[in-house]
Amino acid sequence: MMPIVFFAQASPTPAPAPGAGLFTSPFLLSLLIWVPVAVAFGLAFIPNPRGRYDTLIKQIAFFTLLPLFGLLLIAYNQFENFLPTMQYEEKINWLPSIGVTYHLGVDGPGMAMLVLSGLAGVVAALASWGIRERVRSYFALLLLAQAAVTGAIVARDMFVLVLFWGASTIPLALLVVGWGGPRRVAAAWRLVGYWGLGTAALAVGVLILYAAAGGTSFDMDNLLKSGSGLSTRVALGASVVIIVAAATRLPLFPLHGWARDVLAESPPGVVVVVASAASRLGAFLLLRVLIGGEPGAAQLLSPLLALLAALTVGYGALAALRTVDIRHAGAYLALVPGGITVLGIAAVSPLGIAGSVLSLFTGGLAAPLIACVCATVAERAQTRSIPVLGGLGPRMPNVAWLFVIAALALLGVPIMATFATEIMTFFGAFRTQPIGAFAVAAGLAVTAVALASLLARTMFSAPNSNAPGVSDAAPGEVWYLGIMAGALLWVGLFPGGPKIPGTEVPLFDPGLISQISAGVSDLAAPFVAPTAPGTPAQ
Amino acid sequence: MRYVALLPEALVVFTALLVVGMGRLVPSVGRRYMAWAVAIVLLIAFGVELWAGGVLTTYFDGTLVQDRFALFAKAAALGIAMIAIASTDWSAEDSLHFGVAMPLVAAFGVMVAASATDMVGLWAGLELAAASAVVIVALRRPDLGLRLLLVGGVASALLLVGLAFVYGSTGNGNLSAIHDVLLNRMPTIALAIPTLLMLGGVSLRAGLAPFHIGPLPIGLGASPLGAGLVFGLVTVAAAIVGIKLFAALTPAPALFTPAAYVVAALAMVGGGAAALAVRSPRPRMAYLAVSQLGWVTAGVATHYRSGFASSLFLLAAFGVAATCGPVVLGRADAGETAITGLGAVRPLRAAALALAILSLAGAPPLAGFFGELSVAAALAQSGNFILLGLGLLGAVLSLVAAIGTLRVLYIQGPIEDSRRGGAPLAPAMTSLVTVGALVFSVVIAGYGLFGQPILGLADQGAEALGLR
Repeated sequence: MMPIVFFAQASPTPAPAPGAGLFTSPFLLSLLIWVPVAVAFGLAFIPNPRGRYDTLIKQIAFFTLLPLFGLLLIAYNQFENFLPTMQYEEKINWLPSIGVTYHLGVDGPGMAMLVLSGLAGVVAALASWGIRERVRSYFALLLLAQAAVTGAIVARDMFVLVLFWGASTIPLALLVVGWGGPRRVAAAWRLVGYWGLGTAALAVGVLILYAAAGGTSFDMDNLLKSGSGLSTRVALGASVVIIVAAATRLPLFPLHGWARDVLAESPPGVVVVVASAASRLGAFLLLRVLIGGEPGAAQLLSPLLALLAALTVGYGALAALRTVDIRHAGAYLALVPGGITVLGIAAVSPLGIAGSVLSLFTGGLAAPLIACVCATVAERAQTRSIPVLGGLGPRMPNVAWLFVIAALALLGVPIMATFATEIMTFFGAFRTQPIGAFAVAAGLAVTAVALASLLARTMFSAPNSNAPGVSDAAPGEVWYLGIMAGALLWVGLFPGGPKIPGTEVPLFDPGLISQISAGVSDLAAPFVAPTAPGTPAQ
Repeated sequence: MRYVALLPEALVVFTALLVVGMGRLVPSVGRRYMAWAVAIVLLIAFGVELWAGGVLTTYFDGTLVQDRFALFAKAAALGIAMIAIASTDWSAEDSLHFGVAMPLVAAFGVMVAASATDMVGLWAGLELAAASAVVIVALRRPDLGLRLLLVGGVASALLLVGLAFVYGSTGNGNLSAIHDVLLNRMPTIALAIPTLLMLGGVSLRAGLAPFHIGPLPIGLGASPLGAGLVFGLVTVAAAIVGIKLFAALTPAPALFTPAAYVVAALAMVGGGAAALAVRSPRPRMAYLAVSQLGWVTAGVATHYRSGFASSLFLLAAFGVAATCGPVVLGRADAGETAITGLGAVRPLRAAALALAILSLAGAPPLAGFFGELSVAAALAQSGNFILLGLGLLGAVLSLVAAIGTLRVLYIQGPIEDSRRGGAPLAPAMTSLVTVGALVFSVVIAGYGLFGQPILGLADQGAEALGLR
């Protein structure tokens, strides 16, 4: 119950981690973006006759992402959660003629996304160890995609945001079309179409804000501050196109058209990147621009967001229940966490917003976990057809365990990180969006049925004697799936970080919930209900 | 110092004449190093332009002016010509001497148009640039050369009639004098008709949709460098003429903005859709160029200084990609099969080609993206959100088309010669071509990164046109 109490306060004041703020770097965020880009270009031009250096290329990519993730964990540990301001900030005039600055920075929600992105990068490299064809191009594109997603997370200038947001589409589309399954071409075109539409919508939204702010600066500090002074019509127009941009990414019904094919046809490494940080960018955008910049429009549009959340969760659950393709089922189920995140945003209350911020991380792990587990089942059972699968549990115990953990994570049962997320989101939303919250909860109930049915039919039913041969997950697959499952368990068990016994002093991990609080109170400030003097804040 | 600013023009003209003369008199002398030598001369001219071009002065009784606009356009033309000559695979061209000389003539045409203070100078610069394209196209396909001459004749006639009407209406041929006259006059039908004629002439020269049906097929049949000139430098010359003409007409924006909106919208969306519909790399590049040129027109249509500056900024990026794109494609222009798997066998050529296509499509973080987004910012500032939306739609279509070509380049494996359908594999690059392709790639990739000096100069250029 700790997280609920924590965020129920209007202005939470988390205990600062001892030693926080000792590590500072003026180039940290740039390093996270540009080192993968430099390595990608290096890889692209390494001579690799007949795949002679394939293993070396994989190692270079992995050992580029791993130390960067280590650096990121130090930054996470040193993050000063009692400061509401941006940290690790970098600001250089880039194109002053049109008001563009190379402005990077992270606050609490940004740090959650950054840790998710770093973790997803390492996991994606591990998940891609089995790639055999055109290894050099694959890992170069993977690093470029990773860099673009990181750039979009830390961007504090809207021009820079559009740049990285759009740039992530190209390497990911090429990864899908180059290394995907039988329907890869259609999947890649859908990805480009929907994400391209989203980029165009984001550009329109940004330019509306830019024009309304006087056309002098793209800096978020300027655009999102001035946003509150916009006319209702302009603010609503900008907010609607921002919602379209976010809906194409997250994705939200009815702009989810790319998700099934991309998540079902891509290799697991690409699924990890797409379903984790790359798609969570949609919700992150809503938090940044809609909640942070246009609170009035957010209030007005919150029923629409709740409707989209309910439709997304309901559609994902029903489609997963009906499909006979296990990878499609995984892809549909991966829509569910996005719906819950948006319900938290639609709540427009401090608790709901805090839940949605935490859900960026937890949903960004639960979605790729379920999609990748389903991909592993299909791979190891040599078929995607659910009616053919049966009784796999005893024959692939590792996968069965991971499947169960993924299902529990998706449903938000206690000890999983998604529990805290869902309880905060629903508690926040039932007050302000009761119908939407009820609809999402009903969708979650259908999700439970779909998951139970899927598990029962594939893992715990009688074995099918006519099915192709089955093998358990390889160690590499167990590792990458296990890391995602482990991260969900870790945050679920220690949302506030492990403490030195008998004290409130955190050990090495200050706790994700503590760290995201920097910035959440700022985001939620316009939505705090006024309290009568002398009564405690609710 | 005043006359040093004319040194680039002198160097370009002298070198072009020398090269053509050598081709006639001693064709076998210096063939091996000719392209190197000319590229270095252009580099020197480029350096001199940047060093000495900052002076503000006039020449020949005010016929030519050296201002920030001229500096920007001249430096861009010299840079484009230099990279084009350095990246050309001369074994794919029909004549070394004419091939080397014609980009110089085209660059000189752009320089004359950029410095012109009156309508005659503008027209002369444009015709000079266009003539170079006719020569180089006719070397391979005389029929197409004739067709280009005919299309150019129609464009020239439209432009000249328009110019004559404007002269008749305003009583002046000088651009700043026309600007001053219009400050005190309401737009009339007598001015609107010649403006439309001029817009038609410039659009036909530039190959803007729907006028692309004239020059576009000609570029498709030309040699790689010929296609580069038709799609790139000649188009840049036409755009420079258009920008200077419409800058003079900005006191009465109603004269040209509605037509410019229509042309820009058609070009942005139509170019993107057509690029998606074709699969061969050269036509796809040509349609992507049409789409990006629509963005340049959209910036001009705002009739504000920021719009013109953004258009100039984009025009330089467009010029590099549209001229050098067909050039780096080289002989691999016989359909999609000619570039299938090129990334595996010719990595640098494939990378340069991919950058050209992505930049023309406006993909981040390349030159075209920065140019298009700066135009988009200008459109937003002026409240043209419908045109902005259409432009973004065109950009999405262009992006999908560009990714289609990237897939062929990098994702599909190389195919055997017997299955190429007669399309030869692009040959390995010579040392000069390697340097040229590298410079081209660095320019396209680094344009936005170092965009401020370029955008700042473009802004000063727009200011020099008398825009607020």
